[in-house]
Amino acid sequence: MVARVKSVSITEHGGYGNRRVSQRQALARQSLFSPLPVFVDIFSSPTSLTEASWQLLQHAQFLPALALSLWSGLAATLLALGASACILSTGLGLLTDRKKVALLPAMLALPHVAFALGCVLLLAPSGWLVRLLFAALHPWAEAMPWVLDAPPPWQSTQDPYALGLVLVLVCKEIPFLLWGALAQLQRPDVAQALQAQMRVAATLGYHAPTAWWRVVWPQLLPRMAGPLLAVWAYSLSVVDVAWIIGPGAPPTLSVLAWQWLQDADPATRAQGLAAVLCLLLCTVLVAALALILYRMDLGWLAPARWTRGPPQVADGLPVCNDASSAAIGRRLIAALPAAYVLVAAVLLWGSAAGAWPFPLLWPQSWTLQAWQQVLGSAGVLATTLWLGLASTATALAVALLCLECIAARWHATLFSASYLPLALPALLWALGLQRLCIALGWDASLWGLWLAHSLSVWPYVLLSLQGPYAALDPRGAQLAASLGRSRWAYLWLVQWPLLRSALAAAFAVGFAVSVAQFLPTLFVGGGRFATVTTEAVALSAGGQRSLLAAYAVLQWLLPACLFALALVLGRKRRFAQPSITPPCSSRGLV
Amino acid sequence: MPSSLDGLAALHLQVHSLRSPSATLVEGLDIVLPAGALHTIMGPSGSGKSSLLAAVCGTLPPAIQFQGTVHVLGQRVDVLPTRERRIALLYQDDLLFAHMTVRENLLFAVAPWPRAAREAQVAQALDEVELAGFAHADPATLSGGQRARAALARALLAQPQALMLDEPFAKLDVALRQRTRALVFDAVARRGIAAIVVTHDPADIADIERVTHLRAP
Repeated sequence: MVARVKSVSITEHGGYGNRRVSQRQALARQSLFSPLPVFVDIFSSPTSLTEASWQLLQHAQFLPALALSLWSGLAATLLALGASACILSTGLGLLTDRKKVALLPAMLALPHVAFALGCVLLLAPSGWLVRLLFAALHPWAEAMPWVLDAPPPWQSTQDPYALGLVLVLVCKEIPFLLWGALAQLQRPDVAQALQAQMRVAATLGYHAPTAWWRVVWPQLLPRMAGPLLAVWAYSLSVVDVAWIIGPGAPPTLSVLAWQWLQDADPATRAQGLAAVLCLLLCTVLVAALALILYRMDLGWLAPARWTRGPPQVADGLPVCNDASSAAIGRRLIAALPAAYVLVAAVLLWGSAAGAWPFPLLWPQSWTLQAWQQVLGSAGVLATTLWLGLASTATALAVALLCLECIAARWHATLFSASYLPLALPALLWALGLQRLCIALGWDASLWGLWLAHSLSVWPYVLLSLQGPYAALDPRGAQLAASLGRSRWAYLWLVQWPLLRSALAAAFAVGFAVSVAQFLPTLFVGGGRFATVTTEAVALSAGGQRSLLAAYAVLQWLLPACLFALALVLGRKRRFAQPSITPPCSSRGLV
Repeated sequence: MPSSLDGLAALHLQVHSLRSPSATLVEGLDIVLPAGALHTIMGPSGSGKSSLLAAVCGTLPPAIQFQGTVHVLGQRVDVLPTRERRIALLYQDDLLFAHMTVRENLLFAVAPWPRAAREAQVAQALDEVELAGFAHADPATLSGGQRARAALARALLAQPQALMLDEPFAKLDVALRQRTRALVFDAVARRGIAAIVVTHDPADIADIERVTHLRAP
């Protein structure tokens, strides 16, 4: 079995390049890439699945790892859902200005891996936040010198309770859930109806947050089943983020399964497959349980119960019972972008930091050595770019083809089905892609990578277009036809220009998803192709802090550039002012 | 089977039945319209007025079944796709395309070439509806009346043989409705287009002899 090589010491040692760290990193890279060809015969293992399952149940790390996975997955999903609901209860996307919503793409552009790496640089015992704390305590240093001469002995990342993992997942999944909710709320028909209902509730004496919980949330929650399922499945089975910031002894079950799947022993690989299937079973069971609880309409789950009855009146004025959720939401609206900015900033200055011994707040020197190294590896950048652009273009073309060729009444089914790949455990999805590519003879090839990335990107691109397509007035096509124009002319001249902003945003989302792909790149590419994400994950086990940060920044910058481009391309057209004032003419036409 | 009237009629609509999944909306309706004539259809909500227009244009949703025929200038068109029927539509929402200027909206209804001719056609059409100064304006900045006139100009530029008006004046105030109605009816008469107007407003039928009342299913 390949031992997991992880190190919390990457930020505990100031510089980089010492021999011990390099050896550790080399071993980590080896564990990431070298044994990949053994995946090929994973499904033809001589050990039966029943034997492997029995073997799995008897494994000493299985139950603790499963418990950690369930805890971190459930905690991240429920906290992200609660936080998203609080944010939405401020009226985001429905009542408040749309400028705040514009921050979402920037947050979605930051990949999970880059965010996790930034959190490690921030939260680790020798991370920037601890250095900041020590700098604040500096005036009392003489009183307690034993405290300030070394990083504290606590495990703030890779902690045994997976708190760091939960934190990263919550911060990353809130924007995704908001994105899913806003896709529903910003449909003109839905928005108009909900706004009207909110106005009615206001006339009945409800404050806006109470009205939101009572009127909007019960209608929104069922529509968010797909995004919620995707968040739950991802949080339960994530590998790369859990590898970077999750617990190490034992790790989560997904990381354990990943390690077993890389083993040379077929019985251990079969055990890994059994672990992956166990994750799938957990995903389905918990989702089914949640559905049953929701259908049972339990009193304690009903939003009406949380909002404590009809509006109370004091001194003739209605009293707001639910201002606290909106207050939390407003604080989160400020705190979440701030956290992203802090993570991005620490990655940026981490990428240019030279020697930086603890507990100095700022590096002793600055260097662009890491960036020179990154720019020197043009192959990695080129692979990332072409994979992202080619797979997103393919996924967008296929998504448009689906939306145009499948009758509108089937679109809801199509969108529901597109959540299925997102609801699969990441390892199972990657193994499935690998099997497909082997069947096509495309394994360990660029074609295989293109196919794997296209299939992984497609659901996100399709879901990005869900809201804008639903908002299209079908009478536009009928009108164009009645004017004698072909379907193609309508698409080319009217529909796609109208959807320009949505198409550009969908492309940016797809590109970000492609850049962030770790397991499909690793499995299908057979370890022969490196992207900025695989490099960043590989480096996370080493001690080259500045190089690691530079790759993480690059992982974030590439999608961010596409999102910026999407914003520019999606800008509303500026029209010329009329050359005359409207006539109140003799013919009286106004 | 076309009747002997088809030789004279700009529009001949024969409805054997128009069925929604839950009810028969219209049965045994025969409308014959000479060129330049107007026919009004009135009735309560859900009686199938708009569905009837959609059947004429070929834009019925799959759930509604139409059995009957539509002839335009003697040619059976109900077997043709919408864009080959030469029947234009005007909704109560003007449906001006938001990403296009007023001029570009009108150009959309004109054959792509010759380029000079289409520009001249659009300029003339804008002039006719007193929107010449708004050619490059954002449709969203126009008033309700201006938008209705731009939509009318666009529909007429497609040189239709028939025009279907689905409550086209419903969103205008009374005074503006009267003026816009006069403009539309005048354009229909001058161009010799057969038109069917669906309306709830009794004022719309004041000058129209042909009226069909549909009943609730």
